[in-house]
Amino acid sequence: MIDKIDETRKSFDEDLSKVENLTSLEDLRIKFLSRKGLVSQLFESLKDVSKEDKPKVGQALNQLKIHTQSKYDELKEKLEKDQKSSEEFVDLTLPGRKHVIGSKHILTQTLDEIKNIFRGLGFSVYEGPELESDYYNFEALNFHPDHPARDMQDTFFVTDKFLLRTHTSPVQIRLMKEKKPPLRAIMPGKVFRNEAISAKSYCLFHQVEGLYVDTDVTFAELKGTLVAFVKQFFGQNIKYRFRASFFPFTEPSAEMDIWWEPKGKQGRWMEILGCGMVDPNVLINVGIDPEKYTGYAFGMGIERTAMRKYGIDDIRILFDNDKRFLTQF
Amino acid sequence: MKISINWLNDYVDLKNISINEIVDKLTYAGLEVEEVDDQAKKFENIVIGNVKEVKKHPNADKLSVCKVNDGKDDYSVVCGAPNVTAGQKVAFAKVGAVIPYGGMKLEKVKIRSEVSFGMICSERELGLGENHEGIMVLDPSLKEGLSFADAMELNDTILEIAITPNRADALSHIGIARELSALFDLTLKYPDVNLKESGKRSEELASVEIKDPDNCPRYIGKAVSNVEIKESPDWLKKRLKSIGLRPINNVVDVTNFVLHEVGQPLHAFDLDNLGGGKIIVRNAGKDTKFTTLDSKERKLQSNDLMICDVNKSVAIAGVMGGENSEVTSSTKNLLIESAYFNPSSIRKTSKNLGLSTDASYRFERGTDPEITKWAARRAAQLIQQTSGGKIAKDEIDAYPNKIYSRKCGIRFNRLNKILGYQIGASEVEKILIKLGFIIDKKSFDELTVTVPSYRHDIEREIDLIEEVARIYGYNKIPEVSKISVTLEEKVDHSAFNDRVRELLNSLGFYEIITNSLLSEDIARRFGNAINLLNPQSSEMSHLRTSLIPGLLTTISNNIKVNEKDIQLFELGKVFEKSTNSDINDFKDFTELEHLLLALTGNRIRNEWFEKDYPFDVYDLTGYVESFLTKILPDVTVNIKSISESGSKFDYSFDLICENQNTGFGGRLKKEFCTLFDVDQDVYMIQVDLAVLKGINISKKIFNELLKFPKVYRDVAFVLDVNITSDQVTSIIKEASTNLLHNIKLFDIFQSESLGKGKKSFAFQLEFFNSGRTLTEEEVETDFRNAIKAVEKIFNAQLRGS
Repeated sequence: MIDKIDETRKSFDEDLSKVENLTSLEDLRIKFLSRKGLVSQLFESLKDVSKEDKPKVGQALNQLKIHTQSKYDELKEKLEKDQKSSEEFVDLTLPGRKHVIGSKHILTQTLDEIKNIFRGLGFSVYEGPELESDYYNFEALNFHPDHPARDMQDTFFVTDKFLLRTHTSPVQIRLMKEKKPPLRAIMPGKVFRNEAISAKSYCLFHQVEGLYVDTDVTFAELKGTLVAFVKQFFGQNIKYRFRASFFPFTEPSAEMDIWWEPKGKQGRWMEILGCGMVDPNVLINVGIDPEKYTGYAFGMGIERTAMRKYGIDDIRILFDNDKRFLTQF
Repeated sequence: MKISINWLNDYVDLKNISINEIVDKLTYAGLEVEEVDDQAKKFENIVIGNVKEVKKHPNADKLSVCKVNDGKDDYSVVCGAPNVTAGQKVAFAKVGAVIPYGGMKLEKVKIRSEVSFGMICSERELGLGENHEGIMVLDPSLKEGLSFADAMELNDTILEIAITPNRADALSHIGIARELSALFDLTLKYPDVNLKESGKRSEELASVEIKDPDNCPRYIGKAVSNVEIKESPDWLKKRLKSIGLRPINNVVDVTNFVLHEVGQPLHAFDLDNLGGGKIIVRNAGKDTKFTTLDSKERKLQSNDLMICDVNKSVAIAGVMGGENSEVTSSTKNLLIESAYFNPSSIRKTSKNLGLSTDASYRFERGTDPEITKWAARRAAQLIQQTSGGKIAKDEIDAYPNKIYSRKCGIRFNRLNKILGYQIGASEVEKILIKLGFIIDKKSFDELTVTVPSYRHDIEREIDLIEEVARIYGYNKIPEVSKISVTLEEKVDHSAFNDRVRELLNSLGFYEIITNSLLSEDIARRFGNAINLLNPQSSEMSHLRTSLIPGLLTTISNNIKVNEKDIQLFELGKVFEKSTNSDINDFKDFTELEHLLLALTGNRIRNEWFEKDYPFDVYDLTGYVESFLTKILPDVTVNIKSISESGSKFDYSFDLICENQNTGFGGRLKKEFCTLFDVDQDVYMIQVDLAVLKGINISKKIFNELLKFPKVYRDVAFVLDVNITSDQVTSIIKEASTNLLHNIKLFDIFQSESLGKGKKSFAFQLEFFNSGRTLTEEEVETDFRNAIKAVEKIFNAQLRGS
């Protein structure tokens, strides 16, 4: 019997040494330590042992039991600990669960930048309708019905008196009719020109108009304001110039150019905006006394400005709304 | 408009001014130079060469080896031309030259083992003609070493100038020269017109009757007889060619020359083809057709102004002459027309005909009524110079509608008020004089001037202010370095939309901007579309009535480039007629601002942590609710499903905010998406932004944080499948007291085990009172009441009981 106990102990130790994980440990437990396991079986057979041998065998059995149980517990604890630490292993190189953040259209972003600069200079933001009357789009802005200046604007007409606005300037008229000076506002929006769609032109684009009317508004202030704008927008070192031009609704009129030197290309002057002092006829048309008040106005294309800023050379991509484009900005 | 610098030099002396300075000053002054074509540049490194010696090429029969001197050194040049001989002066293109024809850059080369340092050029290689038989042999008196461009007077620079529509006076060489005389303080000289007149007076040879003096205030006729129609002399051809005109014959060339010299369009009639020798200026009236000298039959309108003789029309006034009276090789006697027409009359005619000519372009912008006589005499002078001919004495000057010169004043303090900068009185005076204004009165604070007859754009003080500022130089007016900010109310119409954009971005939506023009078919599917009178194409003939087509086009384009998972939105205007009548007023149409939000494809596409997860309608409604809670906090939002979904949706819902219909959404029908080549599910919602903006959000006030515990009760009901969650929660609310604050649906279960056509909803009810701790009994009472109500009304059973 003692031999049997020793044998069991040996066999246990041998099996134990082969245990690699909790599964094989469980097998070991079932084999030796379960209710019908080898150790229990030995205890069963204790009843067949002679009385005088019983204490000795009993003692040996108890020792076996303690031995196997403690070895088992020890290994179990160790294996469980091992398993826990392998379960807690964190692979930080896995890609995280991302959340998409969308973005404003690049034209909206460009306009935001422009708006922010002018808000800082004390400008309000006004908007107006896209389907306009001839009166607001042309007549009140001093375009005579028969003037060649109307050729400068290729207009989409809806009737002979209604049209898709060709510029944001009609909002000037609406604002000046609605409110009394001082008026200082920018007026962004969509405008339309009947131009064939190509890399350079689209049938619609966005403009932002500026207007300031008060008792002492001057051309020198117009220049100062626009210079402040281009420096903030394009950078402090931007080279610029003002040259005379013609718009029916401003006089004197000017265009502002900036020096543009794309990488690896020859630099040149590029027009970025038109501006001028509000023509007295326009002030009269909206019931403002041009002797008392003067004003300046300016207008710029947002597409052109954005394309310059981001190096885009085909306007159509702005309206394709390709996700590969949208997600870049 | 093309302007030749050499030609300008006839009127102002520009010899000491660089082209760059000219270009800059003109551009700054509003005459924008868009292109500079330096003709001499293409002859760089081409000089007059002296052929000193010609020997046969040792290894090639048809080639010779020449020794060419460029004034300094001798060069060995291999030449293939049969006509090269010693002693010739030739165009010698040296190493480094670029051959104008073909653009080949010359390098030192070996031709059959003989070294050649350049090339002797043919006319064709120089871009000066077609001749390529042999080299171009030059005048032997030319000195070797001179630049070819200078020696041949091919050193012109041509400017392309963009003239704004107000500056008709600048549409000629004298016009530009006048501008330069003011900009550089130069003297402007008109060419002398001294005529050798003989024989009869013009009046005896022809007569002029103006029947429409409003549209033809002045008409000058000058007769020239016994002319010989032939090729123009070289100087004249050169002038015309330099600005891109094709020489025709001496008479036509002279009229073109004078037009580009002084801006007055002229016409030369064959006097022998003028019936009755008479010009009648009248409306087309009943005449409906006329053949112009380009042999095209033109359709006339009754009020088009015509030049006629006693029998027939001979020209469309100010636009183009007729075939029946044009100058031909057999023409002997001429009547030169030099007239002033009403700009708007010519403009209408030119527009009606769809015909714009150099003449109509100038007349419709306003020519100079006072230059007419000078121009007629100048043309007569040049015709006589080029063709012999006898100039009749005097001119017929029909001037029934005298155009008086305008007076205009400029106050110095006004100039200062507009510019914010003081320009001295003497400077102002000088500028105006240089531009042709006559000073009538001068005082300490004001100038009164007579406006020159060519400046139709100057009527008011502000026009003079611009002239002064423009010539003085905008860049010399200093910009202010500080501005004052006025304190009136600041308004921002765009603030709401900007907030919308930002919230939608944070939910993962990208903004798109699509075309506002649609085809008729598509536009009409969404409303009473407004059409354009002058569309570019049938694809873009109507204003959009909805943002949906633009969205589907965008989705379709993206699918084509394999971008299938997208969350997009657009903010934009849509347009509809209010009635079926024409649009005569703003009330005849609506212009609404819409927001369109759309989802398509997958929210998650096979990630390590989750499998494919296609967007569904609950993503859409979830986004909408998240968005609305932020944009309109504390506003009741209701999403009501509609069973009748119309032709576009598989299923749809109305969005109701504060009991107002704010929008609708759902899943678009496949057949509808297919129209746009979209073959995946699209979930979208359209929101009327005006309604959203109109909902008054009461000012947000801080809610005290809860100081007492919340109590939760869970319950699950077994219900018929067609009962909605909204129905159940509203019954629960009705049956409870105000202790119940929130109901959360936390589980939906459907299985045969519940019975056929049954499902289970599990809710968690949240109770609290902000003023005290709740008792067990009151919560229990509420909870029981709610359960009873649901059991009763929906015949529901408690699950698990």
